[in-house]
Amino acid sequence: MSYYLGLVQLIGIHTLLGLSAYVLMLTGQLSLGQAGFFAIGAYTAGILTVIFELPILPALLSGACIAAFFAFLVGFPALRVKGLMLVVATIAFSEFVRLFFFNVSWRVPRGDIVVGPDSTNGFREIRYFVANGWSAWEITAFVWVFVLLAMALLWWTDRSRAGAVLRAVGEDELAAQSVGINLTAVKVTAMAAGGFIAGIGGALYAHTATYVDHLTFTVLLATFAIAYPILGGLSSVFGTLVAVVFIQGVLVEGLRFLGDWRNIVFGLLIIAAMNLKPSGLFDARTARILKRAVGLEGRGQPGA
Amino acid sequence: MGDFWFELVEITQTVGDGLLFGATYALIGIGFTLIFGAMGKLNMTYAAASLGGAYVGLAAFTFVNAPALVVFLVSALASGIVGFIAYLTCFRFIPIHNHLAALMASIGGLFFIDEIVIHTTDGSPLTFPAMFEDVMFEPGPFGIRGDLLFVFAVCIAATAGLLWVLYRSRLGLATRAVSQQDVAARLCGIDVHRTNAVTFVLAGLLGGIAGAMTAAAVGVLSPLVTVPLTVKGLIVTVIGGLGSIPGAIAAGLLVGGLENVFLYFRGVNERDMYVLLLLFVFLVFRPHGIFGSAIDQD
Repeated sequence: MSYYLGLVQLIGIHTLLGLSAYVLMLTGQLSLGQAGFFAIGAYTAGILTVIFELPILPALLSGACIAAFFAFLVGFPALRVKGLMLVVATIAFSEFVRLFFFNVSWRVPRGDIVVGPDSTNGFREIRYFVANGWSAWEITAFVWVFVLLAMALLWWTDRSRAGAVLRAVGEDELAAQSVGINLTAVKVTAMAAGGFIAGIGGALYAHTATYVDHLTFTVLLATFAIAYPILGGLSSVFGTLVAVVFIQGVLVEGLRFLGDWRNIVFGLLIIAAMNLKPSGLFDARTARILKRAVGLEGRGQPGA
Repeated sequence: MGDFWFELVEITQTVGDGLLFGATYALIGIGFTLIFGAMGKLNMTYAAASLGGAYVGLAAFTFVNAPALVVFLVSALASGIVGFIAYLTCFRFIPIHNHLAALMASIGGLFFIDEIVIHTTDGSPLTFPAMFEDVMFEPGPFGIRGDLLFVFAVCIAATAGLLWVLYRSRLGLATRAVSQQDVAARLCGIDVHRTNAVTFVLAGLLGGIAGAMTAAAVGVLSPLVTVPLTVKGLIVTVIGGLGSIPGAIAAGLLVGGLENVFLYFRGVNERDMYVLLLLFVFLVFRPHGIFGSAIDQD
């Protein structure tokens, strides 16, 4: 049972990671830096609960805010240039964060043991949930409160003026600019929002896993982050959730019998998916067909 | 005075070594920039393919005991073939204006190549035959490592060869035509797909040489190098200006030289952090790179 609860927690955390990339992709930008923001959230929240002995909630929100702040900082120079340059800048940022935590050592004695990040050996003692006697059910519920909150907020944003602005920038920057939208402001805001969500995800990850090290936050994790919204399509937040369930639940768990070969298959699957369905597996058309099949087709956008 | 003099000699030596080694970064950067120039896309498989080529070269050395020159040729050829396969699988059949999908597919390719290497070598680093290791030139207080000089010379030869192909052959004319205006090129009867494939193979040949060079200079080949080399290649490409070959050369040497300065002052663990910061310095103060045009490019 605890195995399945662990999987449900992981799916929740990866959904947050995917949503953080989703926000930015609505504006037509692609970031491979989400692993970096995730790492900042994870380490900050971990340090706050372990070294400063803060409760989980303030630690989590501080981690998210600091991740958002760095996203904001990276956003400015990176968004002066666009498109593929942003990809390069965010990969560089992500690697920078990883190397930074690779070098950070901050050991503090706590009772008869020493705790804190220990550069290459990782950060081992993030045991807030265990120390406070949370059951697996409670942890899972706690994770999903944030997932549902993030999904609801993004879903609601999408139906408000802000959502229209984001999508306008994503569809056609020139047209958006000509109706008076400040492109840089929109993109940097989306970047910071993405950083915040990734920070929450990272903070939750650190506390559910109890152990993080720099190898947790590689380019592979950043690739997962953008793979979810790309596979799920950008028509709604549910696409990202479906993609996470599909990749983490079906592919990663289902292909476990392949052992080491699983990773090779993963690369091939991305290539195949992009060749067959370049605009996402669950693009607007597939979503409509699915909805019609289940009889949910209501006030959708015909011809979208 | 003596200490200062010693320090100065040390630093000049370090920068010199870095500049020589930077030639390999320049080659990797040229590969990225060539493909960006031709298609406006990033080929993320590139560094992995380059190292993959070096592995095939290493296999030629281990199993057939091939001489140095053959090792390099085999590496280049293998990497050229991988480049062609990467074009077919990640770019050829994906709609031309869908940058995201091509990028994703090539990242998939990067992991695929990397995993194959990890599988065949059990993930452990292999020693690569060193070349001219015992040759050492000593002008004054400095020492120039023979192997680094060799790396530098081969990189210059490879770049010269590339420039000759690009500017003195019909093939290069077609490549440049496609990169400037692919619609116009098509109207002139140039087969865009064929030309792009040729660009990928050319870039792959260069990459194989760069991969073998890196391995020869460092002495080991390891799958752990793939992502850092990809990131450094991308940084060189951006600092030099996307699509600019002279820019990639200058940026490669710059990154190589500065990298060794960082290594000298801050040690091996922090070196790459400062290289990455260098990119952000450029993004803030000179976002279009050393030789990049001021035109916004996606």
